[in-house]
Amino acid sequence: MNEKASTAGAASGTAKSHGLLAEYRTPGALIAASKRVRDAGYRHWDTYTPFPVHGIDRAMGIKMTGLPWIVLACGLLGCGTGIWLQWWTNAVDYAWIISGKPFWSLPANVPVIFELSVLFSATGALFGMLALNGLPHPSHPLDLSARFAGVTSDKFFLLIQSSDPRFDERETRALLQETEPAGMEELPEGPGLDDRLPAYWTYAMVILAVLALVPFGLIAKARAEKSSQPRLHAIGDMDWQPKFKAQRANLVFADHRAMRLPVEGTVARGELFDDDHFYRGKTSSGAWARTFPKQVEPSDELMQRGNQRFGIYCTPCHGQLGDGNGMITQRAQDIGQVWVPPTNIADERLHRQPVGQLFNTVSRGLRNMPAYGAQIEPMDRWAIVMYVRALQRSRHANLSDLPEADRASLK
Amino acid sequence: MAASSGNHDKKSPSGPSEGTTFDDNIRLDGAAGGLFIKAGAVGLGALVLSVLLGMMQHDGGKQLLHSYLVAFMWMLSICLGALWWVTLQHLVKAKWSVVLRRVGEILASNMPLLAILSLPIVVPVLLGSTSLYPWADAKKMHADHLLEHKTPYLNSGFFAVRWLIYFGFWALLGRHFLVRSLRQDESGSQEELSRLARLSGPAMILVALTLTFAAVDFLMTLDPTWFSTIFGVYYFAGCVVSVHSFFALTFMWLQSRGRIAKSITIEHYHDLGKMMFAFIVFWSYIAFSQFMLIWYANIPEETHWYKLRFGGPWGAVSWTLVICHFLIPFFGLLSRQIKRNKKTLAFWAVWILVIHWVDMYWLVMPQLSAERLPLSLLDLTCLVGLVGVFMAAAVYQARRVNLVPIKDPRLAASVAFENI
Repeated sequence: MNEKASTAGAASGTAKSHGLLAEYRTPGALIAASKRVRDAGYRHWDTYTPFPVHGIDRAMGIKMTGLPWIVLACGLLGCGTGIWLQWWTNAVDYAWIISGKPFWSLPANVPVIFELSVLFSATGALFGMLALNGLPHPSHPLDLSARFAGVTSDKFFLLIQSSDPRFDERETRALLQETEPAGMEELPEGPGLDDRLPAYWTYAMVILAVLALVPFGLIAKARAEKSSQPRLHAIGDMDWQPKFKAQRANLVFADHRAMRLPVEGTVARGELFDDDHFYRGKTSSGAWARTFPKQVEPSDELMQRGNQRFGIYCTPCHGQLGDGNGMITQRAQDIGQVWVPPTNIADERLHRQPVGQLFNTVSRGLRNMPAYGAQIEPMDRWAIVMYVRALQRSRHANLSDLPEADRASLK
Repeated sequence: MAASSGNHDKKSPSGPSEGTTFDDNIRLDGAAGGLFIKAGAVGLGALVLSVLLGMMQHDGGKQLLHSYLVAFMWMLSICLGALWWVTLQHLVKAKWSVVLRRVGEILASNMPLLAILSLPIVVPVLLGSTSLYPWADAKKMHADHLLEHKTPYLNSGFFAVRWLIYFGFWALLGRHFLVRSLRQDESGSQEELSRLARLSGPAMILVALTLTFAAVDFLMTLDPTWFSTIFGVYYFAGCVVSVHSFFALTFMWLQSRGRIAKSITIEHYHDLGKMMFAFIVFWSYIAFSQFMLIWYANIPEETHWYKLRFGGPWGAVSWTLVICHFLIPFFGLLSRQIKRNKKTLAFWAVWILVIHWVDMYWLVMPQLSAERLPLSLLDLTCLVGLVGVFMAAAVYQARRVNLVPIKDPRLAASVAFENI
């Protein structure tokens, strides 16, 4: 399709020439042409492609960019900033103990150091690339070439500028002609083209830059002076929500309570605790129940459950054996705290207590022992009572209580 | 069409028959026999010596097994890394690496050998020996409340089942890639490559899962109470960084013998160097993530693992890893010039392989001895033994095949590849 190669575009000789533009159909042709232009010793020239072409740097004789050094410097600066920022805020300006770590503890600070290194490096790479390329470049004589529009899809271009010391209208044209371009044209400098940013852009950027300083100014002002005014509420909806919190007053109601009592004669779903034996451990006569309620069917499973719940809720004070020597007791003795040791569950007195009374103690607490009724389901409390009974039994066991098979091991 | 002189253009039918003529020495042929015997003899000799030295220790084989595990996990990370790498190249239909791919396939197809080499670790477990893994003794497991809950997973029977799954899958996958790729050498079929690309998606997921579980089983359970969910990724990072180092050295060695000398260029080494650099950073990221979460939460059942590794002589080893597995190679591999120079790249490849071994040592050995570094001649003989046997098997696989997939349609692009 080379026949189509035209030398048109040499148009009128009035406008000053910006340079010669050659068009190629393949990256390979562009690379071959670039090598020739490079070897001819031109300096003010460039290539334009729709995608990065491997090997074009070498074909054009472009030297390695200094960008990596900029990125490295920015990365180290970010690293240093991260270290300094956290050292100054955490260890100097506002020392605050967090999770019992030292004020200045490197492991906690590494993520921020890492992020700042990456942020600074990436910013340095972007703006360094723009600066080294002389971008942004608001207008260019190439914008006026209809042919050049193909660079965004499938065409490859090479432009030698007339500003190059070696540029010679005829020689340069002959050189490019030898590279067999698919087309060629002379690029006019273009009337009235201005490479600078429009003035209103400059003004807008200056105004934005000044506005960006306002928050910092306000912060500085607030730090420097005292104020008797209440603080600003930027988001009032969140600070003043139209709702009542638990245990607060509400003047709308005669009793001034925000929390309402149930309507007289009603019971909330699931809150009808009308089984004294199961929920309170009492018989109909009001005495402590000596038997387990009918809902509690003794089983191995329930005993395991009681063991597990006892392990979670009771052992911290009462200990694994129920003898009152739990971790908290040991710790209290270690540090010489005044401490009333918890009751030994195997104690004769407790051994004789009815199960209903034990259930009541678990549910409502006793002396130092807090109430667990709110935390442990009734069935689990009965499971604990059952396990406590087993513990008591084990502490007062005889050899005859053991299964035949195990007796020998104790003798 | 006169002007189209580029080598990127046009889809050539199938195979590079037209246009690109591939002339390069890509067969080991004559050299294979001698190499196979030499590497195999050194490897087997070192393994026999290891067994003899191990028996002289009179410690129930503990030192031998631990040294062997260090060397084995190092060797496995190369083989597993190669398997992952081949899967990845098919998955993304990579162009740059086509000229390197066959050697990767050959290394990855060594899995059956590694399955055999893992027997000294697996068999003692099945016999109930706790020389390596305390959980191999079911009684001990039931005696400890924390461990009792792990018995459904940590028992020798299920361990053997998982071992079969891991190595079975790896061996089949590695074999499949090599066999299909060799078949493609003859048929030049594009369809064959598409099938491998389709397979590599699910295969990648399975490689990730098996690698994670294997790392947990073989390394993490040395201390059965300890757990870290990122541990598999940690081992994976080591696999990737070391396999690229291993590749770089392998290709340099092949080229020094005149094989694939023209087709592999500095551009390919540059890319291997980039991967080494990237995964040095990745390893550090993962290693630190694991450390920081445990350090911050400060829960005794997690911190004891690090406490052990920061006490006594192990503190120095931990710091060696920070400095030599991250700081020094990070700055060392940062520069483009260093990655584009075979000598400097070779230096860093050796450096990484050595420090990766230290990493394996640091994972395994504190469980053997907390107070002193249990350095032993066995560490060396086990490593030499495994590398020797591994290389012998690789050379054996490579003896009569093309070292480059010559009919891959992307081969021309791979040879002509240049970094921007």
